[in-house]
Parts: sequence; structure tokens; C-alpha cells
Amino acid sequence: MKTQLITTEKKPFRALAYGAILMLVALAFNPVYGQTQTTSTEAVQNERTIKGIITNAEGPVESASIVLKGAEVGTVSNKNGEFTFPKPLKTGDVLLISYLGYDTIEVKIEANTTFIKQMLSEDLIEFVGALNTNKPYKSKRKRQ
Amino acid sequence: MIIKRCFLLCLWAFQSYAQVSDFEGVNFRKADSIALAYKNETLHNLPELAYKLTSNLPTEVEQFRAIFTWVCGNIANDYALYSRNMHKRQRFKSDSLKLENWNSYFRTLVYEKLLKRNKTICTGYAYLLEELAQLANIDCKMIHGFARTSTIDIEKLDMPNHSWNVVKLQGKWYLCDPTWASGIPNSETFQFQFHYNDGFFLPNPKLFAINHYPVHKKWLLLENKPSFQMFLDAPIIYGEAYTKLNVHNEPLKMHNIIRKNDTVLFKYELLKPIKREAISLLIDNGSGSYKIYPKSISNEGRFLTVAYAFKRTGFYDVHFYIEDALISTYTVKVKKAKS
Repeated sequence: MKTQLITTEKKPFRALAYGAILMLVALAFNPVYGQTQTTSTEAVQNERTIKGIITNAEGPVESASIVLKGAEVGTVSNKNGEFTFPKPLKTGDVLLISYLGYDTIEVKIEANTTFIKQMLSEDLIEFVGALNTNKPYKSKRKRQ
Repeated sequence: MIIKRCFLLCLWAFQSYAQVSDFEGVNFRKADSIALAYKNETLHNLPELAYKLTSNLPTEVEQFRAIFTWVCGNIANDYALYSRNMHKRQRFKSDSLKLENWNSYFRTLVYEKLLKRNKTICTGYAYLLEELAQLANIDCKMIHGFARTSTIDIEKLDMPNHSWNVVKLQGKWYLCDPTWASGIPNSETFQFQFHYNDGFFLPNPKLFAINHYPVHKKWLLLENKPSFQMFLDAPIIYGEAYTKLNVHNEPLKMHNIIRKNDTVLFKYELLKPIKREAISLLIDNGSGSYKIYPKSISNEGRFLTVAYAFKRTGFYDVHFYIEDALISTYTVKVKKAKS
């Protein structure tokens, strides 16, 4: 009887324990989805790390500079053209991507921007150069 | 109607060309010292350089000044690169394909030299100034055109040979020439020497047009635009002219023909008043040269008129000096007096 009692007393406990485990399992999985959604929403509004790759017509561009417009923070691309911006950025920030001889590009960080793939196009300039001089002018004269 | 006419008349009377004197109240010392503080910066990160040069300066003109001074003080003119380019451009000028190929190759070479050795030719200066100014949100453009110096043969001046800049400050366009402001090559060794000439920072467009003629005439920044022929006919003015003159008025032409005992008038508007004794003419008759201190000088404030009568027939190169600075050169052919 006593045993029976114990048994009956233990059964609800077990049921509770299973329930608790089930709840834990459910909670353990649920928050995963919940967190993912929250992080995504926060990413839209909040700062996140931006990575990217800079190329030109021939391939990756090494040493292209990537800076935050209006601030003294930036980085340069590695030999594979890749970069990770050193400061987390928020939506609306503008990055200036430049390399000597190429058009400077402004890239605005949009709500869903986490990776930037940017191709640079060459500044098509014809180079000329007249040097100034302080050498006095001398007329060409016919030999007399 | 009368009011409108009066207004237009007043507008005309007070119209002056955009030049550095518009900023007389601005002291550029801070901008220049910032440029000097970043002397060892490289060109690997232009946005950062533009930020460093401008972020502590309150006005647009000071920001532009810091960039201009930095470019002029840190980039050397590469004479070998210049002469190689001129030679090839002249060689390929009637073969557009070869010229295009050369330009493309040369462009890469120029960027490489600029990046690795801080050396360039004038389009490189103008390009760098434009890039840095634009990164600081200053509207600056590169201008291509024709330039004249004492050693440029105008007979061969059939392609643009120089580049400079225009910059919009407080809603007005101004001129500047960073290449010629940075220095000049030694006349014998051709080695480039840094020698900053402040006269090329926002000069009077009337003076600038004597030896600069843009491909697009609007960038003369003048109401009464001279023709290209007038530019070709104009006298030679030197870098020092930009440190002493605001406007060069007369003689209008490089080559002048007069009769014996006729007078040649030299009329200039000065940047600062000068003493009469500072003025001299060096006259070269082909077999030798002699210095003249003209006696007939009208020196009212900033308006200078010098008159000199040629007493002997002959062909002369006439060099105008203020103190030791060579300002301009003209030729004067003196024919027999009318009988």
C-alpha cells in the first residue's frame, strides 16, 4: 500500500519531469528561431561588421582604401581584394572606396548590407605635362 | 526702368573676377601648417589623407588651401616622364590607335610613379588635387588646355599640353595651377626643384589667360573671352609675374614692330605697390644685352605704366624685370623712322 502510494506519488512527478524536459527541449529550440529573428531585426537598425571584396577588370585589387565618409577610420584590401571594416557600421553609413587611377565609389550601407562586392573602373585620363621654366626667351636669329 | 539700368551699371562697375583677394580676411597659416604636418603621408589612402588635411579647418577655402599646399609640396615633377610622353605623343599624333595604346600604357606608368615615388607630370597634379578636394566635398575639376612658356614652340602647339584646375568656393569658380605652383626644373640639369609659387593659387583669370587657354572656353572664367589666336600672339610671362602682377595689360602681343624713336608702353596692374627703382629692362640685340632703368614711369598705387623709346633700329628681345624677378618678354623690331 505504502509502495503503491509511493508509486502513485512518483507517477505525477515523472510526468512533470518529462513535461519539463519536453518544455526545455522545446524552449531550447524555440529561442534559436526567436534569436535569429531578433538578431536580423537588430541588424537592420544596429551596427554590424561589414566585409567585402574589391576588384577591377583584371581581378582583385590589393591596397584599395575603404574609409567611412566623414571619419578617420578605414582599412585597405588584402592581396585577394578582401577587407573587413574595422568598425561596426549601421544602416545609412557611407563607405568611400578608392584606388589611385580609379573612380572613387561611394557605397551606402543599406538595411541588408553585410558584404560589399565592388568593381572599380579606371579613370580614363590622357596625361600631358608642360613644365614651367624661368629660362629667358631667346629669339632665333639668322646668322649674319 | 531707370532703377534697373542703375542696378546693372552698379553691377558692372563692381564686377571683379574671382581671385584670391576675395579671401583677404582669411589667414592661410593654419592650413599651410597642417599641410606641412602631414609631409610624410603617402598616397595609399586618399580619403584618409583628405580627412587629415581638412577636418580641422573651418572654411572651404582653407580646406582647399591645405590640399593645394600639400600637393604642391609633396609631389615632384618628373622631367624624364614628361619628355618621354611628349616625344611619343608627337610621334603617334596622326595614328589614333597607337596614340590610344600609348596613353593607356602611360596612364598605368603615371599612377605607379605617383603611388610609389610621389612623382608625376602636370595632369597627375591636377588629378590628385581634384581627387583630394572631391573627397573633402569641395567641387574641383581638372581642366585640360594649352600652356605657353618661354621654351614652348607655339608652331607645334597643336594638341593640349597642360592641365590645371578650377574650384568652386562660396559659389564662385576660381583657377589654380598646382603643377606650376610646385616648382620648376633647373634650367641646366632639368632636375625638378620644389619652389612653391603662391601666385598660382586662385590668380586673376585675366593674368592666367595670358599663358593658359582651356579646351573649353567657359573655363577661362572671363566675360570677354580672348580668342585662341590672341593667346598665341600674347607675350611670354613667367612664374614670377604671378607674384607681382594682378593683370598684364600691355603690350598685348609678343612680337611688336615700331619705328625708330617710337615708344613702347608697358602697362600692368600690380598686386602690391613697388618702388620705381625696382623696374628694369634687359634688352638683347642678338650680339649682347644691356640693362636699362627706364625714366618714364607712372606708378600710381597699383597701376604701373612704363614707357621706353627705342632710338636705334634693330631686332630686340626685351625682358621686363621687377627687382630681380623676370616678369615678361617681348620682341621689338625697330624700323627706320618715316622720312
